Amino acid sequence: MDARRSDGARSADVGAQVSHIMKDQGQQSLDPITLQVQWSRLASIMDEVDVALVRTAFSTIVGETRDFAVIMLDREGRSVVQSQLSSPAFTCSLPSATRKMLAEFPAATLRPGDALITNDPWICHGHLPDFFVVVPIFVGGELAAFVATAAHISDIGGRLDEFDARDVYEEGLRIPPSKLYRAGRPNRQLFDIIESNVRYPRLVLGDVDAIVGAAGVGGTRLREFAGDYGTHAVTLVAAAIRDLSEAAMREAIGVIPDSVYEHEIDCDGYRNPTHLKARVEVTGDAIKVDYDGSSPERSDASVNCVLNVTHAHTLYALKCALVPELPNNEGLFRPISTVAPPGSIVNARFPAPVKTRSKTSYHIHNAIYGALAPVLPRQVQAGSGSFWSIKCDGTDDDGQPYAVHVLPNGGRGAVQGMDGGPTVAFPGNGTITPAEILENSAPIVVLERSLRPDSAGAGTWRGGCGQVIRLATRGGASVRMTIRPDKLRFPAPGIAGGGPGAPGELLLNGGPLALEPFVLRSGEVVTLKLPGGGGFGDPRRRDPASLCSDVASGIVSAGAAAEIYGAAGPAEKPPKDAA
Amino acid sequence: MPSPFRLGFDIGGTFTDFILVNSETGEVFLNKCLTTPDDPSEGVMAGLVPLLDEAGATGEAVDIAIHATTLITNALIERKGARTALLTTEGFRDVLEMGTEVRYDIYDLFLEKPTLLAPRSRRYEVAERLDRDGNELVPLDEEAVRALAPKLREDRVEALAIAFLHSFRNPAHEQRAAAILAEMLSDVSISLSSAVAPEIREYERMSTTVANAYVQPITRAYLETIEDRLKQMRYPRRLFLMISSGGIAGGQTAKDFPIRMLESGPTAGVLAGIHYGRQIDIGSLVTFDMGGTTAKIALIKNYEAAKSNTFEVGRVARFKKGSGLPVKLPMVELIEIGAGGGSIARVDQLGLLKVGPHSAGASPGPASYGAGGAEPTVTDANLVLGYYDPDFFLGGEMKLDADAARYALRQRLAEPLGMSVEDCARGIFEVVNQNMLAATKVHIAERGEDQRKFYLFAFGGAGPAHAYELARALQMRGVIVPSGAGATSAVGLVTAAVSFDFARSLLARLDRIEWAEVKQVFDEMAEEGLGVLEEAGVARDRPDVAVTHRMDLRHKGQGHEVTVVIPQEAFEAGSLEGISRLFYEAHREKYGHAHENLAVELVTCRTTVSAPAPDISLRPVAAEGREGDAVKGRRRAWFAEANGFVETLVYDRYRLRSGAAIEGPAIIEERECTVVAGPSGRIRIDEYGNLFIDIRPDAGAEQKEARDATAPA
Repeated sequence: MDARRSDGARSADVGAQVSHIMKDQGQQSLDPITLQVQWSRLASIMDEVDVALVRTAFSTIVGETRDFAVIMLDREGRSVVQSQLSSPAFTCSLPSATRKMLAEFPAATLRPGDALITNDPWICHGHLPDFFVVVPIFVGGELAAFVATAAHISDIGGRLDEFDARDVYEEGLRIPPSKLYRAGRPNRQLFDIIESNVRYPRLVLGDVDAIVGAAGVGGTRLREFAGDYGTHAVTLVAAAIRDLSEAAMREAIGVIPDSVYEHEIDCDGYRNPTHLKARVEVTGDAIKVDYDGSSPERSDASVNCVLNVTHAHTLYALKCALVPELPNNEGLFRPISTVAPPGSIVNARFPAPVKTRSKTSYHIHNAIYGALAPVLPRQVQAGSGSFWSIKCDGTDDDGQPYAVHVLPNGGRGAVQGMDGGPTVAFPGNGTITPAEILENSAPIVVLERSLRPDSAGAGTWRGGCGQVIRLATRGGASVRMTIRPDKLRFPAPGIAGGGPGAPGELLLNGGPLALEPFVLRSGEVVTLKLPGGGGFGDPRRRDPASLCSDVASGIVSAGAAAEIYGAAGPAEKPPKDAA
Repeated sequence: MPSPFRLGFDIGGTFTDFILVNSETGEVFLNKCLTTPDDPSEGVMAGLVPLLDEAGATGEAVDIAIHATTLITNALIERKGARTALLTTEGFRDVLEMGTEVRYDIYDLFLEKPTLLAPRSRRYEVAERLDRDGNELVPLDEEAVRALAPKLREDRVEALAIAFLHSFRNPAHEQRAAAILAEMLSDVSISLSSAVAPEIREYERMSTTVANAYVQPITRAYLETIEDRLKQMRYPRRLFLMISSGGIAGGQTAKDFPIRMLESGPTAGVLAGIHYGRQIDIGSLVTFDMGGTTAKIALIKNYEAAKSNTFEVGRVARFKKGSGLPVKLPMVELIEIGAGGGSIARVDQLGLLKVGPHSAGASPGPASYGAGGAEPTVTDANLVLGYYDPDFFLGGEMKLDADAARYALRQRLAEPLGMSVEDCARGIFEVVNQNMLAATKVHIAERGEDQRKFYLFAFGGAGPAHAYELARALQMRGVIVPSGAGATSAVGLVTAAVSFDFARSLLARLDRIEWAEVKQVFDEMAEEGLGVLEEAGVARDRPDVAVTHRMDLRHKGQGHEVTVVIPQEAFEAGSLEGISRLFYEAHREKYGHAHENLAVELVTCRTTVSAPAPDISLRPVAAEGREGDAVKGRRRAWFAEANGFVETLVYDRYRLRSGAAIEGPAIIEERECTVVAGPSGRIRIDEYGNLFIDIRPDAGAEQKEARDATAPA
């Protein structure tokens, strides 16, 4: 299983390559030790920024669910380092977004205390609630770097439903690249516009302030860094980091035989299912992923994905498979290109509706891993149940509006040699809001949160279990809810002969529930059955002891054990050679 | 017969440390012997008998015996605890397995999770339910609880954790279920979440309660054995235990809440920092304990250790946050970094030099131990850099093989990287220091503090060799290496106060709740605390017993809380508005802003009940006995500020007298550690035998000059 990790010999080769790269650039002062020390220090600066943001953020979506990323970019807007816990997809779209903002506000015109903002889906991360804020950092009066933050904020106005917008205008406020702060002074007009257009201005503006404040911490630390290592140290380290990372990625790609690897999958979409087709073309040390053949963009469902989001998810899937241990930065991305026909669901054109693009983007890795499974079976993962979204809002006993956002997950896909974990976020990385916190934030009673038996995709290594959540209201209260499920029709796919996870189910009082906002009234129960992860490999080759243990714990029913796994019966041990 | 002695013993992974202090004279006796893992009490006897002999004392002359142990941590890591079951509210038994749903490594498709202490087949549910205010929604199904007893028996369950939703607001259901089962299953130990960790967030509370249940039977047996042994030594009183929150408590408390003894040894080290700090009037310290595999950092402000209420045990991915089992307890906050003398250096995938977190451990150990270790470690680098004397490691008990160290460095690092052995050694030193200072910085930032106001208090086998560089890079005020740095944790044991910390969640807006309701929670905790003190022999009506209240508060809507001390006057005034103002002030101080237009929300109430620390003045351990010139030699040692090797004098710590002053660079050797001070350091020994390194503030600038001077054109 660990064959993908590097061995000593390979490291030594790369070592030679390193000194080569460094000499090429005439940067003899950046030996492997200096570079390591400075790189690690830059990374710790971003961890400090991360800490500052988490501790001052207002919304649970930033403070607790951690749906954000903070990264450092060089003065050209190329990414250098990120905080360790940054949400991965954001880190891929922040650099290009920063450069687009700089096209509007050239670097040479920026001043200390400026902060840029936009949430344009075609610049940022594909839907309006993702705010991107870029703060230039000056050292001794000279632009040295940027600290950029992407964060999912609590509300952006627009329709409450998740899917029914016909264009992006219906989805809320769109802020073009703008100056949020000018030389330390807030752009009052812009703040007012935001305040007037979002439902929870306290949370939204509280988070925006926290983002700018945290970036300031990064600025202070970067100036200390420059004080220790020189004004241009960031630029030098950034270049070295990118070149080394690029070389490592190229080496990992170079191992894959040149060919075109293809895979097609279907996912729920909204009114119509979405078809995704990935054509992974490996040529030498580069990869091109072409999504030609995928569904056209939809005008009746907010499930469209802009190209920079498609690219971000392509990069993420490939990084996890090829160089999981390397720190993330733009060097890794250079050898990878993403192509999709304009007007397709993975390259939506303005002003297509995009609010719920994760219904598309969160499936992209499955198409890629399906394509690479035959050639890299030890580096890919079966499909995951992934997250659903539950939004509750209303007015609390004090007459104050409340909004709670809960993001529960299904089971994770299996990999070769390991079962998928139960209820784990993938490809996102959010935490579940505890029932006790939820009940303290809204008039809700959580009746159940448990593992969902027989939801795990069968396999030599099975998928992770999904979960069952049942919600009611407290006392006589009513709560407005918007639930966004996924994989109700098309489950998380298995891989290499593994079975799919169980599809999800969404029920109100035991009956079907339409996918639009509704009011949960006193006495009613909404039930969410989240999908399981896909399995890896032929279920009939599963280790009998693991199967027995699954049956004993109730994760796999005796019926499924016999039918799908071919166990002779729960009491009887399968023959030894079954494994 | 007078009983002036205080006894402390700390059972660590490798060694058991002993300290015996005559509290009248301040005389200190130390001993160290190998830990005997099969029956740790064997090792205790082996070390204690000679120690008492040396002091000319008997067990009867010991006034108090205080113990710290790694037993709890080890039992959890090695999964050597009891067969444990969990009982939860109907619908919630899987919360233990589902966890937070977050991945601790965002790119790893092969993510390992820790094995659960209570597998699904031993997790049970019962119908009962409280709402968020603790009101009953569904009564406890007592019949169903009774029906569980035979199942638990059949399943050979030895320990049971009970964790119901919202039980921190109302423990009645948990208590009733426990009473029913205790009657039916007298030999099963039962832990209640409302007693072990009465804080909001069901997963963490459940995980903590299960961990407590898991270690309870073995802890009970273990403590009884130790108590028996002490009785054999004619120690007439009860045994006291160091607890994770930095106080000492009686044996019964430790048996009820064994999980509260997690990390008791390292915690004692932090307390030693407080003790020495008081001695020298320095209240702000960062303690830095660097041993063979890890470095541990803690923060002391105004003579109080910073506490946290979350911890993780048994991380499956070393040092990765989120890869262990969460435990929610009041604890002295220790940041653990995978950086120790045994940490291995290697060339990574990118051709860069990485150090740790893998460690060569004690066996085979660093290459220079000559025990077959082929990988270069931090100790090997320190040897090449001239910090260690190969003939005086552990006071000369062990010889280091400098050729073996150089060979490992050359083979594994210098050749692949095309650099010199010395440069690689310097690289290891710099990289491991960078790892530690990054973690320290982020930790201090999380606390909203400024490290420049702190001294670095260094101990442990490797700490004093790295402290100077760390303090210099962090621009701290200086370094303190206490006298007897090898027995620092033990000193913490005998100087700690009887004290216990409580926490109870109560979610409410301060402008919407009655003070009486808040006060009741505090009063209950204070009452419980006085009981714990009584159990530890401290009368509840003693005037010097201190009760401190704190509140975890936040702006309504914010995700994270700030812990605010509620001064006695504010508590007596009972003004929630006044407390809101305290919160705004604290928030502003930490983060530079506060939102006074937003209501303040209470999340958790905290109470500490403590007796004063014993008033003892320890005699210097180091500066005793020996006469003669303190300079024992000279050698070349590498310093960043000089950007090269510098001829450096080597001193014998035991011959350095109070008042001694030395200009850096200097190396000071004592039995268990070596203190390294660079050219910008100025060393002095204070009247208590503590070693100070003051760092000239311009130290950073000088280094840059040196670098610039030698940088390639």
